[in-house]
Amino acid sequence: MSVLMSIQEDDFDIGVEHLRLKSAGNGVGAIVTFTGLVREFESEPKSADFQGNLSTLTLEYYPEMTEKLLAEIIQQSFDRWPLIAVSVVHRVGSLKPNDQIVFVGVASEHRLEAFQAAQFLMDYLKTRATFWKKIEADGQSHWAEAKVSDNVAAAKWEG
Amino acid sequence: MINLLFFGRLSEFAKNVSQSYECAGESMTPLIIREKLTLESKALGQELSEPQVLVAVNKMIVKWDHIICDGDEIAFLPPVTGG
Repeated sequence: MSVLMSIQEDDFDIGVEHLRLKSAGNGVGAIVTFTGLVREFESEPKSADFQGNLSTLTLEYYPEMTEKLLAEIIQQSFDRWPLIAVSVVHRVGSLKPNDQIVFVGVASEHRLEAFQAAQFLMDYLKTRATFWKKIEADGQSHWAEAKVSDNVAAAKWEG
Repeated sequence: MINLLFFGRLSEFAKNVSQSYECAGESMTPLIIREKLTLESKALGQELSEPQVLVAVNKMIVKWDHIICDGDEIAFLPPVTGG
């Protein structure tokens, strides 16, 4: 098993990440990747007054603890599925619309476990890893609210 | 000395409160610290009392009655919003 994990301010290249997964071990027959981007419009149901054009998204994290939590989530994916390699890249700092925020990639022998593990990793990352988003839109800023739908998605993997 | 960290929206409420406490021999828990902070800022106290807010000691999630000592780092964590 091979783990690639990075929390960084710099952008990432999904081509490079894909190549790393491809060459991470023998027997790779499937690679599933997910890339999350900064949306141009902010329309959080809980903060209707903040709807508008997003100018900056700032990602805060808790150094050392966030890495530890991500490593635990990745370990859980290896416990659940027969995976060959997992890669998680999460950006922090100041981001603009259309910027890449997060990358999750899974390499395995067959496609089913790669699809499932990629979704699991994103669902758990969203609800368990200590990152917080601050949104600046139309000259106002506020901290993003956690979404119930994210908790529902993560809960599907429990029990 | 017990150092306090406030993340996400909690940081907005914690600008004018103590960022550290002395143990001074007494038994301390995150709950006691939350009570002390509430005396400094009622608004922060309310935020910290939200059931979704978690507390970490030295980067491990703990219960609010976890015993803490000098040198510990206490972090108050609102619901996460990464990804």
